[in-house]
Amino acid sequence: MRRRLHIRPQRVLKHLFLILVSFLSAFPFYWMLSSATNDTADIILGRVLPGRHLLVNWANLVSAGKIGTAFFNSVRNAVVLTALSLFISSMAGYGFVIFRDKWKNKVMGVLMLSMMIPPAATLIPMFRMFSQLGLINTLAGFMLPSIATVFLIFMFRQATQSFPYEIVQAARIDGLGEFNIFLRMFMPIMRPTYAAAAIVTFMNAWNSYLWPLVILQSPDQLTLPIYAGSFRGGYVLDYGLIMLVVTISTIPMLVIFFALQRSFVVGILGSVK
Amino acid sequence: MKKLISLLLVTVLLLSAASALAQTKLTVWCWDPAFNIYAMEEAKKVYALINPDVEIEVIETLSADCETKQTAALSSGQTDTLPDIVLMQDNSGRRFLDTFPGAYFAMDGLVDYDNFATYKIDKFTSEGKRYAVPFDNGVAATFVRTDYLEAAGFTLADLTDITWDRFIEIGLKVKEATGQFMLVTQTGYADFVSMITQSADFWFFDEEGRPNINTNPAVRAMVEVIVKLHESGIVKEAVDWSEYIASFNNGSAASTIQGCWIIGSIVLAEDQAGKWGVTNIPRLDIESGTNYSSQGGSSWVVPASSKNAEVAVDFLSKTFGESVEFYQTILQSSGAIATYLPAAEGPAYAEPHPFFNGQKVFEDLMGYSAKVPLVKYGVYNYEARDEIVIAIEAIFNGTSIDDALNSAQSAIEFIME
Amino acid sequence: MTALGAPRPRGGLDKRTARKGWLFILPAVLLILALSFYPMIQAFLLSLQKGSGNNLSYGGLSNYQRLPRDATYVAALGNTFYYLIIQVPIMLLLALILAVMLNDSKLMGRGIYRTLIFLPCATSLVSCSMIFLQLFSNNGLLNNLFMRWGWVSEPIPFLTNAVYARLVIIVTMLWRWTGYNMVFYLAGLQSIDHQIYEAARIDGASVMQQFAKITVPLLRPIILFTTVLSTNGTLQLFDEVRIMTAGGPGVGTATLSWHIYRSTFEQVPRFGYATAMAFTIFVMVAVLAFIQMKVGERT
Repeated sequence: MRRRLHIRPQRVLKHLFLILVSFLSAFPFYWMLSSATNDTADIILGRVLPGRHLLVNWANLVSAGKIGTAFFNSVRNAVVLTALSLFISSMAGYGFVIFRDKWKNKVMGVLMLSMMIPPAATLIPMFRMFSQLGLINTLAGFMLPSIATVFLIFMFRQATQSFPYEIVQAARIDGLGEFNIFLRMFMPIMRPTYAAAAIVTFMNAWNSYLWPLVILQSPDQLTLPIYAGSFRGGYVLDYGLIMLVVTISTIPMLVIFFALQRSFVVGILGSVK
Repeated sequence: MKKLISLLLVTVLLLSAASALAQTKLTVWCWDPAFNIYAMEEAKKVYALINPDVEIEVIETLSADCETKQTAALSSGQTDTLPDIVLMQDNSGRRFLDTFPGAYFAMDGLVDYDNFATYKIDKFTSEGKRYAVPFDNGVAATFVRTDYLEAAGFTLADLTDITWDRFIEIGLKVKEATGQFMLVTQTGYADFVSMITQSADFWFFDEEGRPNINTNPAVRAMVEVIVKLHESGIVKEAVDWSEYIASFNNGSAASTIQGCWIIGSIVLAEDQAGKWGVTNIPRLDIESGTNYSSQGGSSWVVPASSKNAEVAVDFLSKTFGESVEFYQTILQSSGAIATYLPAAEGPAYAEPHPFFNGQKVFEDLMGYSAKVPLVKYGVYNYEARDEIVIAIEAIFNGTSIDDALNSAQSAIEFIME
Repeated sequence: MTALGAPRPRGGLDKRTARKGWLFILPAVLLILALSFYPMIQAFLLSLQKGSGNNLSYGGLSNYQRLPRDATYVAALGNTFYYLIIQVPIMLLLALILAVMLNDSKLMGRGIYRTLIFLPCATSLVSCSMIFLQLFSNNGLLNNLFMRWGWVSEPIPFLTNAVYARLVIIVTMLWRWTGYNMVFYLAGLQSIDHQIYEAARIDGASVMQQFAKITVPLLRPIILFTTVLSTNGTLQLFDEVRIMTAGGPGVGTATLSWHIYRSTFEQVPRFGYATAMAFTIFVMVAVLAFIQMKVGERT
């Protein structure tokens, strides 16, 4: 125990570097928090310290209404989508490696092409297709395009390459079915990868703008980014209110990150063997 | 018996007609709760007295989002999602009308257009038909700190009916006397490109809709003015909207030249009450130059896909299209200035404005509004403006005006080909 | 241990097992075929249509032939590759270094550091752009400090000069995406057995040697993943440019995705031309990803 308290110059440098990077990373976030407590005049005049306007901003937000609906919808959409897409995509990523053969590699290569086109280019064909299928204003319509994403499949494919094959072989010898191997061996062991995947998938779903904008048009399907955006369209902007809305909309993401980053613990994999 | 039956039939018909009416529901897309949505809600109240069977639902939607959704729906042919009424930026009008022919409902004969400022109507006229009920006024004006002017020995009258050269002269003196910028605008001068060109009765296109940039005297004079402004050092070039607003709210700029809707942001600085004045904008020193123009503003359109298009137009026409009283109400509460000219006769428009030192600001603005040159807007308004902004950027970096405008001309021709 | 990236025992996979493997893949494959490839094919057909809005007619490859004459497209192409070449390597290296540092179980406060470094991903782009623009404006904090310290006599035109503005975009991207990539590396590092490091330390390997000889090779699949992803993301770069500079000054910071979006939704909609531009991005990403995969998966 004692030895760890010795101050080593290398440690100090490391901390200094991390503190600097953390400060640069966190400052705009701090400013966002602090601005949520200021009024518009102070914000545009560059006030950095927290103010006393939080309650006023909050009252304005409540009187604008719909924050509850937007928050609930965003949480629902992001949670359901993250769960579904992690399952479907990780299964595929696993399948591509554990059952690797020439054809599956080719299929993977072809699938990769689907992420290489900017979303603005396929939006109109997609909108036509979804509205012909009657999926406008449905949760299914929002989720379907992102349940199986090459991004996640690719991520799990790459991560599975470090997965010890002996575990699969041993489980087969023990008579475990292929799907059970995936469910009971792979999923728990790959918890760090699932955590990372959950963080970024949740984030993408949480922030998505263009697709929900056209697919979820009814007011009761409103999501947070679109709600937050609506405060930026006026002739006169209330920056205090805007900052409060964007602050509120980042909280769930932080909770998810802080909770999941704990599974980035060295040696999970080692401990299983 | 026969009589009884026919009576019954008529009653049934009438009842069903009434219930059909009662079911009429109009959805509206628009943005800005303090301004457009507020006006819509007030219009709802007015119309409820005229036709109580119509229900109106306002769905708050950003301007850019309104456009994205309309583009997606119209281009994929899936128009079910479109509302009955949409608010549209004036500069986008021709773009949507011309690229999606038949997508909007023509209102000729249903709306009395004689009472609107002509420059507004033309923004939504395509192939001789009119497609919108004009709403808020984008008439441009110079909003200026009179205390700064006085510090340099000038009055509001010295800034009225002047040329840009004179404006720069005064600006240099104001900067010398106060140490503050004379003017603030956003970097790139995009707002000025269209505002100044229109003030001289020219636009980026000729009568036939062909791009008219490199041989256009107003465009050339406008570019020269912007270069002079840039080089004079009297202009604060704000990097974004918040810095722009901050520049006059914190007193670091003496004036802004903008559409009259900017008032809402100017009056935010309560400590500056009584120190502001409003006058017309500087003019280009060419034959057709005037001191009037417009910037921004929007109008109501009705998608042709609406099943209740006629009801929607009736609603718009009886509220935004003919109620002086309605415009009184929204002016007082939200500062929404009409383009419906008879509104100016209402008492609210003649009220002295305390923030502007008792000046009858709204009356003055309505006066300017009637004098804005009527120019022939095109489909490619934004594209042409953006190409000129690029040209100006090149001139700032040393390209000659001729070369830059020639490039802009060919760039816009390329886009339109 | 036998990592699957390494050569596999031969004949380990019989035909029945291989066939079962398809069941794992099938749901995802069907979804992607129906929901990504079908719209992509339609988009491709659209790219053969010329005209604007709904006034479209078949134009063959005319949209593609038009590209080299479009000055904005050419400028945007140059900018996009500039961002790619400068930003991606710096970001990935920085993310990797941070991940290795924060993977140290003895490091105090690593949970806090990780969260703070992840914050940019969570921070709304609105507040980020307001801060960054104010920071870099002519009267902004940086210029004020530089002038007070006498480093410069005139404000540096960070946002009004294209050369500087591109750097501002790169800084914004680094700020926003380094923490994001760090997350993948942190997850990947968990599969490296820490005993390997201990053995290396006993053999006297320096920190740099451990990094180069153990960490990087063992993380290769994830490094490849982030490289392909960042290449793709940068070639489709849009948000930062739209929010920070709107492509300006002039078209000095414009990117291809920005041009595509503008031609679809902000200007007179030229869907055919916009999708043609999109397919040029598609081809460029595909070629780069192919090369990266070939190099990265060679064993």
